[in-house]
Amino acid sequence: MAIPHPREIQLAVVQWLDERYPFTKTVDEAMYQRVPNFANAFYYCFGGMVFVLIVLQLLTGILLAIYYVPDARGNPAPAYTSVNFIQNDVYLGWLIRGVHFWGANILIIMVLLHMARVYWTGSYRAPRELNWIVGILMLLLILVLALSGYLLPWDTKAYFATEVTIKIAGSAPPAALGAFIKTVLQGGPVVGPPTLQIFFTAHVFLLPALIVLLMYVHFRFIRAHGIAEPL
Amino acid sequence: MADAAAPKRVTRRNILGWGMAIILTSLTVTGIAPILVYLWPAPPKGQKKGPLTIALDTPLDQISEGQVVKFNAPSSPNSAFIMADGGGDNAPGDLAFGGFVVKTQGKTDVLAINCSHLGCSVALNASANTFDCPCHGSRFHLDGTVLHGPAQYPLSHLTWQQGQDSKTIEVDGLILGF
Repeated sequence: MAIPHPREIQLAVVQWLDERYPFTKTVDEAMYQRVPNFANAFYYCFGGMVFVLIVLQLLTGILLAIYYVPDARGNPAPAYTSVNFIQNDVYLGWLIRGVHFWGANILIIMVLLHMARVYWTGSYRAPRELNWIVGILMLLLILVLALSGYLLPWDTKAYFATEVTIKIAGSAPPAALGAFIKTVLQGGPVVGPPTLQIFFTAHVFLLPALIVLLMYVHFRFIRAHGIAEPL
Repeated sequence: MADAAAPKRVTRRNILGWGMAIILTSLTVTGIAPILVYLWPAPPKGQKKGPLTIALDTPLDQISEGQVVKFNAPSSPNSAFIMADGGGDNAPGDLAFGGFVVKTQGKTDVLAINCSHLGCSVALNASANTFDCPCHGSRFHLDGTVLHGPAQYPLSHLTWQQGQDSKTIEVDGLILGF
């Protein structure tokens, strides 16, 4: 029996897959798009950099979640000691946490630069308004992600920063609504273990799922409209 | 035009459509309502209101005029005091994690530690005989009234009574349950 060339095996696998779903066609359509010359300027890369940073946040976030313990009961609380453990004992833990921390900061800067580029080139104009709106929603999601992530180390800075932000949210008029928002965000009468649990749930389950969904919508819109010509 | 001019009639299709809409709406509401109730924070097991017994550094009968004794809320079990009054950032029913026993003009008061501006913990300024806030510089007289802004309201009082002897006081509070 003749030994097949690796390429024949590859073709056989691809053919087997293509007979069941048009993978080659789908991938070709997704990958091989001509980029117009005007979109080769460096500032057209900001959106892509935001995407790369979000992927990096998802990856490092998953790695952090392996060691992080979202429990604020006791003193020192496991939330605090587990972050300490990641930072000082886990192999390369300092790096993973550092990338997650700085990635979050740079992400906000890149989002604002991307937004500024879209504004500057007038790319929000008809028929692309919905994509601008989706982008704004993702900006807000990223800000809430940054805010909720800030509490998770459960150190003094995190605690009192959250105390202040919840107080701001709780000052929404009328007073009854503000008090309602405050109680729901805190999960009780004070910033405590229930607050950490709520922020952790939002930071790790709810918000990432929403942002991934909106990113998909964002990219489908771009493909549908094409890259906007500059002004 | 003929359609627009036609009198509005109640048709079977109309009634069925509205009926379905009502059924769907009520199903959605009955589905979402329990989730909203679920989201409203449930008090942790062991959360209990009641007087907290505090041991003072200086017994009540030995506190001299103008003297201030600081005390903290017990941490085992984790507890907080409940404010009796308050303005600005403080309100009746708000929680405090510390307080001061103060004797001014022969009267003993128990004040919550929270600044009425934005809630930082005020500290005794022993040389000036005032409570100073480290955050935005508000200052209070020892009786809790404002000496200097940005705070506009006096410090909150705590509801208290003497304990079994003069070394302890009982302050209204809340065992947090966590």
